[in-house]
Order: sequence, then structure tokens, then C-alpha cells
Amino acid sequence: QDSSVREPPAPSGPVCILADSRCISSGVELMTSLRQRHAATVHICSLDGSYFIVSNRMAVDRHSQSDLAATQNRKRLAERVNSLQGLFERVCLIVEKDRTKPGEASRPFQRTRYYDSTLTALVRTGVRLLWSDGADVSAGLLADLARLEQRKGQGIAVPLEVKGQHRQQALQLYLGLPSVSYVHALSMSHNFRSIAQLINSSIEAIQKGGCMSRSRAEEIYRFLRYSCDSFLLNTSKAGKPS
Amino acid sequence: MENKAPVVLNAVPPYGHVIASEKWRNSSLIQSLKGGGVKILFENELGVADFHLPNKSCILYVSECDIIAGNGYKRKLVRYRNTSSSFQELVLVENTRLSEQYFSAVQKFVVFDLGLTLLPVGGQTEASQLIAQIVHGEDRENPFRRRSSSRLLDPLVLAMVQHVPGVGRVKALALLQQFSSIQELCNAPPAELEAIVGQAAAQQIHSFFHKPSTAGI
Repeated sequence: QDSSVREPPAPSGPVCILADSRCISSGVELMTSLRQRHAATVHICSLDGSYFIVSNRMAVDRHSQSDLAATQNRKRLAERVNSLQGLFERVCLIVEKDRTKPGEASRPFQRTRYYDSTLTALVRTGVRLLWSDGADVSAGLLADLARLEQRKGQGIAVPLEVKGQHRQQALQLYLGLPSVSYVHALSMSHNFRSIAQLINSSIEAIQKGGCMSRSRAEEIYRFLRYSCDSFLLNTSKAGKPS
Repeated sequence: MENKAPVVLNAVPPYGHVIASEKWRNSSLIQSLKGGGVKILFENELGVADFHLPNKSCILYVSECDIIAGNGYKRKLVRYRNTSSSFQELVLVENTRLSEQYFSAVQKFVVFDLGLTLLPVGGQTEASQLIAQIVHGEDRENPFRRRSSSRLLDPLVLAMVQHVPGVGRVKALALLQQFSSIQELCNAPPAELEAIVGQAAAQQIHSFFHKPSTAGI
């Protein structure tokens, strides 16, 4: 509904994907495949979890089938999905078949009631599920998602790198805004002349500069004008570090 | 000669029930659904969908045969997508040893082209277990349901002010006593900041906010 505000960038060139640094250790094969077979521009950055950002509004998380089937993982998974849904309009989950070690016979996955209920619950929450046989297929799915989002005018259109100390500091500050993901902060640090310009911007300008939804821009606008209660600040002295 | 559109497009089955298309009557899927404690109502006029479930979702079942037989199933999927029902449209796809070579193409079509939700199953028995979960899971609390948390913003503002170079917790608190919002702080003249944090810090804060960091839009 907000597509009228943004001009979709020409859907050409390689797709851009942001990946958390933790994705490297867990997916060398996938990274290589993304870069070499799918010619994607992948930038490693520090997200708050090992996931990928494929557009201004979509995050992709990768889980193995046994991961989803393990009861002890549910709390962590729920927290993760919840936090991603707070930061992104669209959340995808790539469910990957478990890898077998070379020489080991592949054991068929035992589908449990618990696993089915997890899938059902995810689908009901609006999480998109994609199915993969392994790292290579997952890389293809990530590239396809990024390309689809690019076609819809949602591709990441700003440079993935932030150069210069001041811009870096601005990026860190923007990441402290509520409900702002790395890709929003990145867009803001490229699109606003100074931090003051963002702070004094209208909701429309924040929406445009941050490449984000109207409601997210409203939240930021309100936050920047939010008047702190000094009593609350003082009582939160023992509070958690940022 | 009248060719009526299916009338029960939006029929929601009662609790614990599934509405199944008549053609499934003698299937093993239905047998094992019954075994799983799900009650079945049969219906001739469901349209393209194979099942209607109580939580306002429906299912189209794409079998191994459908996939191997060629592209006919695609037309069915398109009709399914275009049915303007208010249901969440799910597609169960049989992913077996025979059909797995086509799975990737089927997934592309269902998810990327049509935007539907795909759930792979190994066969009718697995499908019935999944359907039973959807039916019975309706009354359970969804652990992934987003709780709208109303956060206290004050600590977030405080943390943000501490991102300004040279400003630690003590200075941030002192500044926020005087300028209660980030916008006020940003627009404060250096002279007013100076009274609170001293000249050097005041300059640093002011220039941090106002220094051009890019060529701009």
C-alpha cells in the first residue's frame, strides 16, 4: 500500500544480500554458492542473529529439519521469530534437510506430531516456509527471494558498506532506534545528510529515507520526540546496559 | 443445464471437523484422519480445494501422480489461488522418491509464482497427521504469535544518547534532565549544552548531530 511513495529501482544488476557474520561459520558452502553460482553481492555484517536480509522488508532464517523437530528449541525459535517479525514485514524460514556425513547412510527424517504442530503454528503466524535439500538449494532460494523482492521494488538499493567513522557512528545510533533493522539503518545512514536531518524529518521523509513502512516511520518519529521522565531514568540506574 | 459455481466456497467446518471433497471418501488419508479422531463431512461442491479446516484454512493436495503426469496440476493450482475465498490457502505436495526431482520446480511455482504456502508430505498418512495437527492445534496457544509488547521507551532513549561519542551514562542522564527528548537534545544550541557537560563535550555533541555524513538525498 506504500509502493506509491517509493520509486522502484530498475531491477537489474546483481542482487544484494546482507548476512550475519555467524552465517559464515555455519554456511561456507552456501556463501560460496551465493557469490559464485548466483552472482549475488553478499555483505557480512553484525545482525542480532544468524540470518539473512534479502530486501528492505524481508529476513530469511535457515533451520535444519531436526532443529524444528526438537522440543527444547521451541522457546529459542519462538523468540527468534518474534524478534524478526518485529523488525521485518516478511519473514521466511528455509527448512533444510539434515546433512549426513560422508559414508553414513541417510536416515529418513522421522516426522513427529511435535514437528507438525511447529510447522502449523509457523504458518498460522504468517511465516513463509521454503524447503531445501542442502546448502546449494538454499543459496538458490535466497537469490530467488532477493530477485523477486528486487522486481517488486523492495531490493536493497543503497551501498552495503558504510565508509568513514562518522557514518559508522551514525549507523550504530540508528540501530538503537526501536523496530529498526540493519537494512533500515543502512538506508538512513546513506540517505540522510546528517543525523539532525533525520531527527527533524517528517514521517514521510523518514519512510522514504529509511525505505520502510509508514508505521515503522511513525514509530521512529514518535520515539525521537518522546519526552523522557527523569524519575524513570534515575530509577532505572541499575538498568541493563544498552 | 445450469452450471452453478460451488456454493460452499467459504464453509467453515465445525470444531474438530474437516470438510472433505467427495472424491476423497475412500482414501487412506480419510481412514487415518478418522483414526486420528477427526470427524469428516463430505461435500460435492468444494470447488478446487480438497479440504476445508476449522481455522479458516483450506488445502489443495498435489499428489505424486499429479506431479509426474505433467503440467495439469499447475492449472489446478492457479484456479485454487484465484478462488476468492477468505481462507488461508495451503498446498500439500507429495514429495516422494518418484517426485522429488520435480520438487524444486513445484516449489518455485507454488511459492514464488503463486505466493501460496507449501507443506511437503511423504504421502497420505503423513498428510493426515499434519491435517489432524491443524485441526487439533486450533485451541492451543500459538507460541509464535506476536505479543505486542509495549516497551518502556526511557531506557532506549538513554541508551541512544550514549551512542554519541564522548557521552557516557552520567552525561547522558544530565543531558536528558535538561532536554527530555532526542530531538530537543539534537537542536540544543552548544551554549546550552556547555552549561551541562562543559565546552569540549558540548562541541562534540553538537557536531556529531549536525556534521554532514553523506552527500544527502
